[in-house]
Amino acid sequence: MDIKLNVQGVLTDPKTETQVVLLRAEDGQEVLPIWVGAIEGGAIKFALEGILPARPMTHDLLKSMIDHLGFRVQKVIITEIKNNTYYALIYLESGGSLLSIDSRPSDAIALALRTHVPIYTTDEVLKQKAGDSLDTWLERLNPKDFGDKNV
Amino acid sequence: MTGDIQDTHKGKTMLQMKVRGLMYDPFNNAFIIILRDEQEKEVLPVWIGKPEAGAISFALEGVFTPRPMTHDLMKSILDSSNAKVISVVITDLKDNTYFAKIHIAYQDSEYTVDSRPSDAIALALRVDAPIFATLAVIQKHSTEELDRWLENLRPEDFGKSDA
Repeated sequence: MDIKLNVQGVLTDPKTETQVVLLRAEDGQEVLPIWVGAIEGGAIKFALEGILPARPMTHDLLKSMIDHLGFRVQKVIITEIKNNTYYALIYLESGGSLLSIDSRPSDAIALALRTHVPIYTTDEVLKQKAGDSLDTWLERLNPKDFGDKNV
Repeated sequence: MTGDIQDTHKGKTMLQMKVRGLMYDPFNNAFIIILRDEQEKEVLPVWIGKPEAGAISFALEGVFTPRPMTHDLMKSILDSSNAKVISVVITDLKDNTYFAKIHIAYQDSEYTVDSRPSDAIALALRVDAPIFATLAVIQKHSTEELDRWLENLRPEDFGKSDA
């Protein structure tokens, strides 16, 4: 069954350049953390904060391309975890057909936030998620790490 | 120099450019894409940020990533929809910011999408689309600026990133 997720925010791991996107199940306490690169994390933060850059950033270009060609993003689904790698699909209507495009979750989320479409995952992924590693990671964090970057 | 560029390239408003390399600019902690026309008469340096340089160097060096990077995703969306990038054009330079357009053919129409040159080039390299620059842009940018910059470079600044 598909579970709808809301993006809670993006945290920066001060020790590496990585960022963690926190997604929360709409009807529960379950949190799905997804580690993303600095650029992708930035692209998600910009969308959450409604920042419009002077020149289109890469995901703005992606959206603009989709809009120009008359395609429509329907939804994105975080579909599975394999060897600590998350997989996602972007569902796109183009020329009367529905396509599902393989994507990294970071790109899928950055696009979903810009096109205002829902983000889903499955029970399986939530069960499988590396919840322990998030707890360990959160324990290591100092309060000062939570700056204005914490949405 | 580009003083009589309009005469040199009579009748043309754009030149096809090739990516000749990617260099690190240690003074600005940025990267420069070096574009040259096919006759190697003109040079257009485009300053870009580090993340953008990553997307371009992956394409230049044919690095395969296990998961699609953002420009691979763009390509994949265009491919799955039978849309084709016809060309990308670097169109303008205003306040040291370059502007580009991506021309896409889809069904029976052509679409033009506004882009930063770095994204346009990263996409063009992945879909084998030609890269053009308008003569106006090539003329507007001062080659002297690059010459001065090159003179300040030391040999050790030329790393592997110089393709």
